[in-house]
Amino acid sequence: MPSADVVVIGAGLAGLTAAIAAAESGAHVVVLAKGHAATHWGPGGIDVAGIPAASTPRDGIRLLAGQPGHPYGFLGDDVAAALDWLRPHLADGGVDYVGDLDTPLQAVPTSIGGTRRAAILPAGQAAALSPWSPGERLVVCGIAGFKDFWPEAIAASLSRERIWQGGSRPASVTPISVALPGLAARHNLNALEIARRFDDPAWRATAIAALARALAAVPGSGGRVALPAVLGIRDHAAVLAAVQEHLPAAPFEMPLVPPSVPGMRLYAALRAALIRAGGRVQIGEMIERVERDGRRVTAVTAAAAARMYTVRTGALVLATGGIAGGGLVAERDGRLMEVVLGLPVEAPPVNEWLALDAFDPAGHPLEKAGIRTDTELRPVGADGVPVFDNVRVAGSLLAGQRYIGERCGDGVALSSGRRAARSLTAVPAGHAAKPGSKRP
Amino acid sequence: MITQDTTEDQSEVSRMGEAHAYDVLVVGGGATGAGVLRDLARRGLRTLLVERGDYGTGTTGRYHGLLHSGGRYVAKDALAARECISENRILRRIAPASIEDTGGFFVATPNDPDDYVAGFQAACIAADVDCEEIPVAEALRREPALNPRIRRVFKLPDGSVEPWQLIESNIADARVHGSDAWSYQRLVGMERDGSRIVAATLRDERSGSVTRITPRFVVSCAGAWSGQIAAMVNVTVTMHPGKGTMLIFNQRMTDTVINRCHKSSDGDIMVPVHTVAILGTTEQRVEDPDRYEITREEVAALIAQGEVLFPDLAKMRLLRAYAGVRPLYQPPAEVTAAALKDGRQISRAHTVLDHGAMDGVENFVTIVGGKLTTFRRMAEDTVDMVCGKLGVTEPCTTADEILPGQVPGKTYWLGHRLADHEAEGGGDAALLCECEFVTRPQLDAFLDRHPDASLDDVRRGTRVGMGPCQGGFCTFRAAGVVGERAGHAGATDVAEQADRAILGFLRERFKGTRPIAAGRQLQEQWMISGVYEGGLGVESLIEHETPEASREVVGAQR
Repeated sequence: MPSADVVVIGAGLAGLTAAIAAAESGAHVVVLAKGHAATHWGPGGIDVAGIPAASTPRDGIRLLAGQPGHPYGFLGDDVAAALDWLRPHLADGGVDYVGDLDTPLQAVPTSIGGTRRAAILPAGQAAALSPWSPGERLVVCGIAGFKDFWPEAIAASLSRERIWQGGSRPASVTPISVALPGLAARHNLNALEIARRFDDPAWRATAIAALARALAAVPGSGGRVALPAVLGIRDHAAVLAAVQEHLPAAPFEMPLVPPSVPGMRLYAALRAALIRAGGRVQIGEMIERVERDGRRVTAVTAAAAARMYTVRTGALVLATGGIAGGGLVAERDGRLMEVVLGLPVEAPPVNEWLALDAFDPAGHPLEKAGIRTDTELRPVGADGVPVFDNVRVAGSLLAGQRYIGERCGDGVALSSGRRAARSLTAVPAGHAAKPGSKRP
Repeated sequence: MITQDTTEDQSEVSRMGEAHAYDVLVVGGGATGAGVLRDLARRGLRTLLVERGDYGTGTTGRYHGLLHSGGRYVAKDALAARECISENRILRRIAPASIEDTGGFFVATPNDPDDYVAGFQAACIAADVDCEEIPVAEALRREPALNPRIRRVFKLPDGSVEPWQLIESNIADARVHGSDAWSYQRLVGMERDGSRIVAATLRDERSGSVTRITPRFVVSCAGAWSGQIAAMVNVTVTMHPGKGTMLIFNQRMTDTVINRCHKSSDGDIMVPVHTVAILGTTEQRVEDPDRYEITREEVAALIAQGEVLFPDLAKMRLLRAYAGVRPLYQPPAEVTAAALKDGRQISRAHTVLDHGAMDGVENFVTIVGGKLTTFRRMAEDTVDMVCGKLGVTEPCTTADEILPGQVPGKTYWLGHRLADHEAEGGGDAALLCECEFVTRPQLDAFLDRHPDASLDDVRRGTRVGMGPCQGGFCTFRAAGVVGERAGHAGATDVAEQADRAILGFLRERFKGTRPIAAGRQLQEQWMISGVYEGGLGVESLIEHETPEASREVVGAQR
C-alpha cells in the first residue's frame, strides 16, 4: 500500500501551499483533489484583505484580526513571511508577482467595468496598480468575436468617476476591438484557447503587430491599454515581454469570467513548485473513506475513474474549501456538513444564513461558517479541545472569515497552509512512511 | 407633438392630440390585458394598454407554464374544465409558437384515493376533455423518472406555454389594428366625474414623467391588484390574492406534464419548460400581492409532495423558487371561513364586474379570476360587455386568426433553436447563452424588434439566463451586447443599463435562491459570488441604493 507522511486534500492555494511547505521540509507529500479549485475561477492575484476600510493589505489584516473569531486573529502575523516564502516559488514557475503588504490598495479596473481593490498582482496585471497620472489615457482593447470581453460596455462604465472608489482614474477611456489572425470568424473561443494561440511565437508576432497597428490608430499617445487576460499560458512571460515591447501603451491584463487564465498560471506555478520539492498532485480523486485510530487519521481512500486508491498517511491537511469549494455542504434541513471527516462545523442558525439583499455590506452570516481550530490549526469541538491530533485545517474551510466578501481568502490560504505544514512536520517522526514509497 | 413633464410637481399635460385619443384604456399588461387589448383593437376600438413594469411580470410570468387540458378541474368545476379544453384547442391553432405540445399524464399514485381515480375518465368525457388510459409500463417507458409504483395513467392534452411570447404576439396584433401598449407606465390616479371616469394619470416608471389621458372607457385587467385600481374611483373590489409557490429544477426529469390524479393539492404538478422543469404549487392567502415571502418550510413541503411523483426529486438540483399571486375574486356575500382557508375552493372561472350596474361608474369594468389558459375567452367576455356599452356590434374574431409571426401547426420543442440555427445554415454564431441556445444573431434580432428593451426584458424575450446556469455567464455577455449596440448608436446611458442588468440579475437570482439555499445550488451561488464579487468587483457598480428596491421581500420571478 502506498504511504505518505502528509496527505493534503484540496489543490487550491491553501492545499498547495501546505504541500509545498511540507515537502520542502522533507516530508513525502501527496495532494488528492476532486478537481481544480478557486485558482481557476479567480483573478489570479493574491488577495490578502481587500476591504474598503483598509489602505494597505497590512492595514486590512490588522482590521480583520480585530474581528472576533477571524482567522487573522492568530494567522495575521504569518502572512508577510508566507508571501516572502512563496514569491520565489512562483517566479520559478514563470509568474512574477508585484506588490506587498505595504502597497496601497488600488482600485483596479475589471472586465465588467467595475473596480476591485488589490495590491498584490501578477506581472501581467501590474500596470493596473500604479495611480493614474493627470491626463493619462486608458484604451480598452478587445478581440473581435471574443464573447467574454466587451470593450464598449467596459469603457462606458469606467468613464464614470464613481466607479474608481475615490481613487485616481484615467483621463479618458476608449474602446477598440481588434481582429486577430484567424480568429475573426471564430465566435466561440474561450480565454484559454486564445491564450494557447499566444503561446505560439509565430502567431503571437502577427497578433501583436495587429494590436500595435490598432492602438497606433487611436488618437493620443502613451497611457495604458487593458487587454483580456489571454496573453499566453505556458509561455506567458515571453508573451508579456513581447506585448510590453511592441505596444505603444503600457499593457495590463483584465481577468475574465472563468476559465481564468491568470489563475491557471498560478496553479501551474504552484504545482511545479510542489513537484520540484518532491511532492505529487492527483486530480480527480473523490475521498471515499478515511481510516482512523483514535484521534489519528491513518489512511485515506479516494475513488478515481477506474479504481480505488488508498494511501496510508502520517498526517492529513484538510484544504477542501468552504461552501464554494465543496468542503462544506449545506443540507436542506439547515445542517452544515464537513464532507471528509464530519468535523464539527461552526455556523449560524438556518434562519440567519442569508441577509435579505444580495449585496448587504455586512455580508451574509453563512459566509463565516467553517471549522474552528486551535492556533496550530487542529480542528476543535465546541469545548475548544482538538478532535484529531494529526489533522490540520487550512484555507477557506476555516471559520470566522468572509473569504469572498473580505477578499482575504488568499492571505488566509497562504498563512494557514504554511502554518499547517510547519506544525505537522515539527511532529516527531514515528508515523512517517518509508522514504521514497511509490504508488504501485 | 407630445409634451411630457419630467417632474410630478409641475402641472400635468394632456396627450390630447389625435395621436393619443384612445377609446379604451386597459390597465395591466399580463396575458389577460394583452388579450383584451387585441380583442378591442380587432373590433375597431382604439385602445391603449398600460403596464407598471414589463409585460407579464405580475402573475402571468410567475406561474408554472401549464397549458391546461381541463383535467385538473373535471371533478369539481366542470365549467372551468370545459373552458380550458376549448381554449386549449384554440391556442394550439392561433399561438402554436408559444406552446410546447408535451401532452400530459394524470397518474394515480398509491397515495391517491380510488374513488377519484375510478371516476376520472368519465368526468373528463363529460366535460369534453380528451382522456385515454394508457398502460403504466408504457408511461414509465416514456417517463422513467416517475414513481414506479403508480397504478393507473391517463393521457390528456396538457402542454407547456411560453407566456411572454404569447403576450408579445397579442400586442403585435393589436398594433397591427391601430392600438398600442406602453410598458413601465404606472396608472397613478383616475378622475371620476359623477358616474364616469373622465381621465387617467400615468407615471413613467423610468423617467418619472407624467401623462394624462382621457379614454372613453377603462378596463381593469390588473388581476390580484384590481382592488387597488378600483379604489382610485372609490369602487370596492375585494380580491383574494392566493400565493402559489413553485420550484424550478435544473433538468427536465419529464418531457410530459405530470399531474397527480386526485383532488388538486400542493406539489402535485410538474411542467417541463424548455430546458428545466417546474414543480407547482401551493395555495396560501396573502394580504398584499406585492409583499410575500417564500419560506424554507414551504419549499421542504413542496419537495416532499413532489417526491410522490418523482421519488428522486430531493437529489435533483433546484435552481430557484418563485411565487405568483392568483387573481381570485370573492363576491362579498359568498365569503366563507372555509373558502378563505383554502383558496382552491373558489372557482377559477372568471367574472366580469360591471361597475356601472354594481357601483354606478358607467365606463369601467374589471375582469377577475380566470387562468392563463383561458385568457382569450376572458378577454372575449370582457370585450363583449365593453362593446355592448359603447354600442359596437363587431363580433369577436380572436379565435379565428393565427397571431402575427406564428406558423400554423408549428409548436416549439426543446431542440427548436438548434434546429432553426441549422436550418439557417448553422455556422459559428457566438453562443451567448449556452444553456438556452441563444446566439448573437438571435439577440440582435430581438433587440432590433425591441430597441428600448431592458436586460430583464431580454431575459424574458429570449430566455437568456433562464437555463441551468441561471445567467452566470450570459447576463454579462448580454450586457456587453447591449453596451456595444448602445455605444454604436451613441446612447449615453450604456453603463447605467449594464449596471442595472448585472446587479439586477444577481439580486433577482439571489431572491430566487434564498429560500432554497442548500447543497449544490448554494455552492453554485457562492461560486458566482466569488467570480462577480471577489474577482470582478461587482459591488463597485452599486450606486445610491433605493431601500425599496434592495430590501423588497417579494419572491423572485420565474
